[in-house]
Amino acid sequence: MKTGIVLRQMLRERRRGVLWWSVAIAALTAITAASYPAVKDAGSVFDQLMEQMPEGMLELFGAEGGITSPGGYLNSQLYSNILPILLLVYGIGMAAWTIAGTERERTLEPLLANPVSRSQVALERFAGTALLLTVPMLVSTILLIATRSLFELDALGVDELIWVGVGTYLLVLLFVSLTYAVGAATGGRAAAIAVGAGVAAGTYVIFGLSSFVDFFDNLRWLSPWDWFLTYSPLTDGPTWPAFAWPLVVIALAVPVGTAILTRRDLR
Amino acid sequence: MTGSPVIDIRALTKRFGSLTAVDSLDLQVAPGEIYGLLGPNGAGKTTTIRTLLGFLNPSGGTVRLLGSNPRHTSVRRRVGYVGGDVVLDRGLKARDLLNWYADLRGGLDSAKIDSLCEQLALDPTRKIGELSTGNRQKVAIVQSVMHEPDVLVLDEPTSGLDPLLQRSVLDLIRSRRDAGTAVLYSSHFLPEVENLADRVGILRRGVLVREDTMSNLRDIARQRLELRFARDVPADLLAGIDGVSNIEIVDRTAYVLVDGSVAELVKRVAAYDVDRIVSHDEDLEDVFFRYYQDGEDG
Repeated sequence: MKTGIVLRQMLRERRRGVLWWSVAIAALTAITAASYPAVKDAGSVFDQLMEQMPEGMLELFGAEGGITSPGGYLNSQLYSNILPILLLVYGIGMAAWTIAGTERERTLEPLLANPVSRSQVALERFAGTALLLTVPMLVSTILLIATRSLFELDALGVDELIWVGVGTYLLVLLFVSLTYAVGAATGGRAAAIAVGAGVAAGTYVIFGLSSFVDFFDNLRWLSPWDWFLTYSPLTDGPTWPAFAWPLVVIALAVPVGTAILTRRDLR
Repeated sequence: MTGSPVIDIRALTKRFGSLTAVDSLDLQVAPGEIYGLLGPNGAGKTTTIRTLLGFLNPSGGTVRLLGSNPRHTSVRRRVGYVGGDVVLDRGLKARDLLNWYADLRGGLDSAKIDSLCEQLALDPTRKIGELSTGNRQKVAIVQSVMHEPDVLVLDEPTSGLDPLLQRSVLDLIRSRRDAGTAVLYSSHFLPEVENLADRVGILRRGVLVREDTMSNLRDIARQRLELRFARDVPADLLAGIDGVSNIEIVDRTAYVLVDGSVAELVKRVAAYDVDRIVSHDEDLEDVFFRYYQDGEDG
């Protein structure tokens, strides 16, 4: 059988959805970027305020470098929270649908009666999820690159904005791949979402509290948020933790989930 | 059976936890044969079929389709399937779904798909989610036969269809059979397969309790009849007719159970102004299983 037919169908069905997500994320990016000049003007006041905060809070906001520098501002206002969270909502919903969701709505079985293997359906749909997730991420990155001089963010280079875009994408895809893997392995849509969103939230909490609580500090190295925010690609370029470690998790989760799917009973 | 079986189930057992849904089932279907798999809901028909298609793994025994593992895509290419509770992607137009499935099958003649839609009076431009249950069922049937499969597996395919359409679907299935397709057709309703199947297997609680040709089974099937008379009839009117039992006469209505032919019964009542004869197609549970129960007891 030719490859790509399941993928192409998924993209066709989700054209409108990805458009709306991209519009929403473009709006969020634009509003955030456009607000920077005002924050910068208020500069010293903000920085004094931030200095009074415990260091852990600053880390949680991704604002160790100060909120008024372009890098600190975008990290704290965009990349450490709202942008990955929005992309997670989009990506986790989609990943849970690929196998577990379609199994539950009972459309997977008629599809699999065609000459197409379970692993092919699963992998093409994971690829579709990964591909669709790049669209809002690209839109956001291109928008920032295009408007950075307009909004006084031009201290940031094109490459830095690309690196942080890739880092955000990999962070999100990591949790999305866990969702996919649990859905493929168990057929449970709720379980898939719970694991994907739960691990994302749990590791966020570990990272956020690690500066205050020793127990969490010892676990901090486990948190993908630590990999991405402590070794921020926005300021440090393509760091190993932010780039390689998510890829390792994805490269483990996807094949394992797919392999279990090919062996189990469908629900 | 004529050729070597293309559907070949041997000693199939399927357990879900402590529940045994199918127990040591043997079932073969040859090319050009329609096999009716009968049984009440919950008898294990759907489990058997889902295992046959490779959606479930057998707990024991083997399942072969066209001589191979049903999970092989080369086998799937030659198989058509309509599942029990059919759900096709609701957001798609019927035609888009059919095109998609046709692509997965390596591309099919679109005139052929059109003519099938026409034959079943299906408007393929509508979204599947907006179609009635019957029309959705038609989409499922079209996708199952559009590639002219060598094996057709149908799990209660005419549920939700009106009688007229049921007939066109059954005609479609017959023409596939005549073209050499092996058909496994499940139903919980005897009359549906009565004029269709060449052989019938009766499944009860996961066990194939009887397998026979349709003509042999017809002889043992019992009918529950209700005869309504225009006037009062003697209480012993129906006594002593071969094969007629459980006679009950209330006012001007007689309730009987008939084994085999009704000819004698009809002759006996001919002189008594029968207004109406109502046949209650009994649940198979009643018709067949009581028979076997009796057989086991006696």
